Amino acid sequence: MSPENEKYIEVSAPDFSRKCAEYSRRHFLRMMFAADERELDGHFRVYAVFSPAGCDRFDILTMKLKEDNLSYESITPLVPAAHWYEREMRDMFGIIPSGHPDARPLIMHGMYGDVYPLRRDVTAAGIKNAVDLSREDGYSFMNVKGEGVYEIPVGPVHAGIIEPGHFRFSAVGETIYHLDPRLFFTHKGTEKLFESVGFEKGAQLAERISGVSSFSHSSAYCMAVERTAGIEISPRAKAVRTLIIELERLYNHIGDIGNMCAGTGFAVGYAKGAILKEELMALNERLTGSRYLRGINVTGGVTRDVFEDADEIISVLDGVKRGFKDFMEFLLDSVSHTERLEGTGLLSREIALRMGATGPAARASGISDDIRRAHPHLSYGSLIFEAHTYLKGDVYSRMMVRRDEVECSFSIIDSLMERRHEGELGTSINEIMAGRSALGYTEGPRGSIFYWIKAAGDGKPLRVKVRSASFCNWPLLSYAIHGNIVPDFPLVNKSFNLSYSGCDL
Amino acid sequence: MFRHIFLNFFCKKPAIGMDAIRAVTGGATGEWAGGPARLDAAFRRSIRIRQVDAGSCNACEWECTALGNPIYDVSRFGIDFVASPRHADVILVTGPVSLGMAGALKKTYLAVPEPKIVIACGDCAKDGGVYRDAYGVLDGAASVVPVDGYIPGCPPSPAAIMKCIMDILESAAK
Ligand code: SF4
Repeated sequence: MSPENEKYIEVSAPDFSRKCAEYSRRHFLRMMFAADERELDGHFRVYAVFSPAGCDRFDILTMKLKEDNLSYESITPLVPAAHWYEREMRDMFGIIPSGHPDARPLIMHGMYGDVYPLRRDVTAAGIKNAVDLSREDGYSFMNVKGEGVYEIPVGPVHAGIIEPGHFRFSAVGETIYHLDPRLFFTHKGTEKLFESVGFEKGAQLAERISGVSSFSHSSAYCMAVERTAGIEISPRAKAVRTLIIELERLYNHIGDIGNMCAGTGFAVGYAKGAILKEELMALNERLTGSRYLRGINVTGGVTRDVFEDADEIISVLDGVKRGFKDFMEFLLDSVSHTERLEGTGLLSREIALRMGATGPAARASGISDDIRRAHPHLSYGSLIFEAHTYLKGDVYSRMMVRRDEVECSFSIIDSLMERRHEGELGTSINEIMAGRSALGYTEGPRGSIFYWIKAAGDGKPLRVKVRSASFCNWPLLSYAIHGNIVPDFPLVNKSFNLSYSGCDL
Repeated sequence: MFRHIFLNFFCKKPAIGMDAIRAVTGGATGEWAGGPARLDAAFRRSIRIRQVDAGSCNACEWECTALGNPIYDVSRFGIDFVASPRHADVILVTGPVSLGMAGALKKTYLAVPEPKIVIACGDCAKDGGVYRDAYGVLDGAASVVPVDGYIPGCPPSPAAIMKCIMDILESAAK
């Protein structure tokens, strides 16, 4: 039994790629992953989660693979959005997508050797024993050849206070011809860790997957656990989650708009954005005890009713609203700033769609997709708002999408505050039966976040799949940066606001 | 004087950040409780920090970034975050040290000229924090580099990071 809007469709392995291609024509590919379900029925399984545009339903194509033949025909040539997912499955399970255009590893760096960490018979201790830190990574970067082409290697420890990643630019003069990123330096083994910490403590781990998306991640995680358990949380708990998700969006988007100023060397703009963000962070702390909104989400509900502090929320947000309006007027009047944003870091609608972009990055390229509307959850079903889109796909559009969404979040919070929300804060969860599974999802500040959980027989998860927004959006950066000058890289990068930790897991 | 600058800057209410700082330092005037003087004695009011993310969730970094905003503005105490380890006096490590970052952390440490100080920022960097039992981590900064001091918290607030950096530097200077 699975939640109402999830439809599992069993497909035979030889048909899988053709079926996926068929679905991808009218559906968004939300995620793709594998699970080692040998303890349940002796098989590995691959899942591809599609959702039809404009319909609250998930069509989940799934196929079984036997241990002695873990290869199938890659879907990437037909569904390019699957490219990282398939490489991920190859690294984590040893499932081979034959015919995949990129044979390089994605997640596992050289020191790990040949282990498939997410197989259930592989233990954390076993993986650690096999590690040899002196083993070279041996990753082969894509080379661009030709007269005047030179490479700029950057990272993993690179400028400023930032997460680690390696970027290999192939440039001609100042113009970037190609960017080949090598990520996953912060891979920690989080998905495997979820399997051992159990359902309840998993919420704390989900909060720590990506710092500034703490609340969206834990909301999606808790939702997945609740749906797996077959319980529904109270309207009050839902409203609290909705409100805090919007608070998280606010501080992120306003902070991001400010950070883009750092990308153009516009110090005053950066400072103004940082002050507004700080006011919101301080509000977060007063409401939840954590600047990153941690400690509120638990499986089965929330720990606090933040509506009790409605006056505080209203008065702070009033100030921030005014401040934000002035801030945007100031930025849009600063030609030296906007001029750098317009036409920079173009991401076409075609590429965004085919590569599976999500969040503000997708909406700035004209894709009207927002999980809050596509799959109404929490209190979103009873709220009226739209998915804000821009058409051009440049840095400027990504800023403007965020501006519109900030205003939208203000009004969502206002309408939540006008209502009464009934019910208990927490709902108890009984034991979750082995083999049950469900999705959890939400629209975080960076885009859609998905979790998929399946229960094992020992009262713990058999598999927790985490799909953060940045996992979808990282590969887009190489497309957006093509043809831009090297000094614009920080700006374009900031306009996507990608998480390393959320992607590397 | 600092208070004056702050009030001018925000035009409105007293800065939230300064309240927070007052709360940790117990200073009532809004001026760092003896901060600059202490720093002066130890490092002649010039500390350069290279922050290294060794697999953090990124919240610790955002708090370090916040230190540079107009509310906390650590540069007025002579503290700055720098890009090159060659310019640094202090390495501030965040994260449990993922296997992928172990080598890079070591190299960064070696690139910092002597005398140098290593600070582990956040619960992860102390002992692995929530990631302690994960297969891809080394249980804290001390497993790769010698650590001089710890900043507790998940994440520690900007004010706490500031206070702890001061304390650690002071005790290291003795
Ligand atoms: S200590 Fe907490 S906030 Fe800091 S990196 Fe670790 S999990 Fe994130």
